[in-house]
Amino acid sequence: MSEVDVKKSIDARGSFCPGPLMELIKAVKHAQVGDVIEVLSSDTGSAKDIPEWVKKMGHELVYCQEAGDHWKIAVRKAR
Amino acid sequence: MEQQQVPTLAIIFLSKDLEKLHAGSLVGSVAAMSGMKVRMFVTMNALEAFLKENVEKQNFQTGTVGAEMLNKNIPLFPDLIKEGKENGDLHLYGCSMAMDVMGWKQGDLIDLFDDVIGVSSFLGMAQGAQVITM
Repeated sequence: MSEVDVKKSIDARGSFCPGPLMELIKAVKHAQVGDVIEVLSSDTGSAKDIPEWVKKMGHELVYCQEAGDHWKIAVRKAR
Repeated sequence: MEQQQVPTLAIIFLSKDLEKLHAGSLVGSVAAMSGMKVRMFVTMNALEAFLKENVEKQNFQTGTVGAEMLNKNIPLFPDLIKEGKENGDLHLYGCSMAMDVMGWKQGDLIDLFDDVIGVSSFLGMAQGAQVITM
């Protein structure tokens, strides 16, 4: 994975669906186009659901990877 | 014309089952935060769960999953609706008929309600919308 300039990282571990997604939505809303927002989530559902939301909203999924007991998901705001 | 460009979701809450309240609130809040227009109408027994005293005491009717949600202290339907309202186009309405029957006032409900309305108003809002009944 190449270097990604993560503008903001949100630790939503311990929070169930839709907590991590909601935190991401809020962060994306306040971000500038092109910014990368990262979410840490221990919720399996969110790891599947956040990429769906990103696709639906037309943003870009930078990565969605397992890191031990949680997932790291990064999104680039596209519009 | 413009009204039809934003997809609208109308959610009708009938039941006071915590699981149904949670599922409807979850879908509605995420929809609102994702750019949809969401209108929630709370009627019949569902209103009881929105009474301040019941929310404060977490006095809800639950099944297996609902009981575990309370146990794990996760954010419940009032929290989800609040998020949806703060970050999207979500309005919450109480049903005037059920409120009148029970003698409840809007002030008896948690402070998230936009208004108490009748069926005609809600039908106007729900026109052309996808409707979910919980």
